Amino acid sequence: MALQIGDELPEIVTPPVDRLRIAYMTVAMRDPNLVHVEDAYAAKSGLPSAIAHGTFVTSYAGAAVSRAVGVDAVRRIRVDVTAPVFPGDVLRTHAVVTASEPAPEGRLLTVDLTVTNQDGVRVGRGTAAVEQPAA
Amino acid sequence: MGRQVGHRFPTREFTVDPVRVEEYVLALGVEPEPGYRAEPGAVVPPGFFMYVTTYGAEPVHDALDFDMLRTVYGGTEIEYRHPVRVGDRVLVTPEISAVTEKDGKSGRLTFVELTTEYTREDGTVVLVERSNTVQRS
Repeated sequence: MALQIGDELPEIVTPPVDRLRIAYMTVAMRDPNLVHVEDAYAAKSGLPSAIAHGTFVTSYAGAAVSRAVGVDAVRRIRVDVTAPVFPGDVLRTHAVVTASEPAPEGRLLTVDLTVTNQDGVRVGRGTAAVEQPAA
Repeated sequence: MGRQVGHRFPTREFTVDPVRVEEYVLALGVEPEPGYRAEPGAVVPPGFFMYVTTYGAEPVHDALDFDMLRTVYGGTEIEYRHPVRVGDRVLVTPEISAVTEKDGKSGRLTFVELTTEYTREDGTVVLVERSNTVQRS
């Protein structure tokens, strides 16, 4: 897929980030932080419930890019987590090519990334650099 | 207190076990590529590399004196210099690369940037992860 400035990558609509996914992520990451597991603990931080890992936000943004260009074409990704993700949230990615510059073996594209929840609240934003081979 | 900028943690080994990548993809419920399988030789998905996953949270958070109740993950930047594949063994070295304090509305905020280098045994840097965490006072 030859991408150009202005092109949008296919949107990802995630499955609900439910408590089972959060539990799997806790295991996958070996993350000991109880804020992802116990509501009572999260309440001590002033949160209404446990929250999902920020890794969901960075990873869904990354998946929007890797699904479009291939896992091996991603050169850099930066995602800032801007709001918490709660159990049951459904996230959407928006990814658009905003720059293109020559690279040793083709072009290096910049992709702007936004992740929002079902209420339209932005939970993450960032950029990725992907390498596109010469046509 | 290991909160000094430039503090490097002792290097640890991490082998990209297919089960860990499988669990990560299972958690997301979205494949990093259609039909992706976490088999030896497959390139590791973009968001997998987090120091919590590859190094362990405790030694880092203990040294940073983090109280997790007042700590929020701010985001990550990852540079992929060479592909890392399922089954690869890498050396993982986190370093406290920046500490910034700011006075916010609810008190003092401490921003900590942790830069984690992933190298092959021959010293080639394959990946650099920069993670940001904010702690309230």
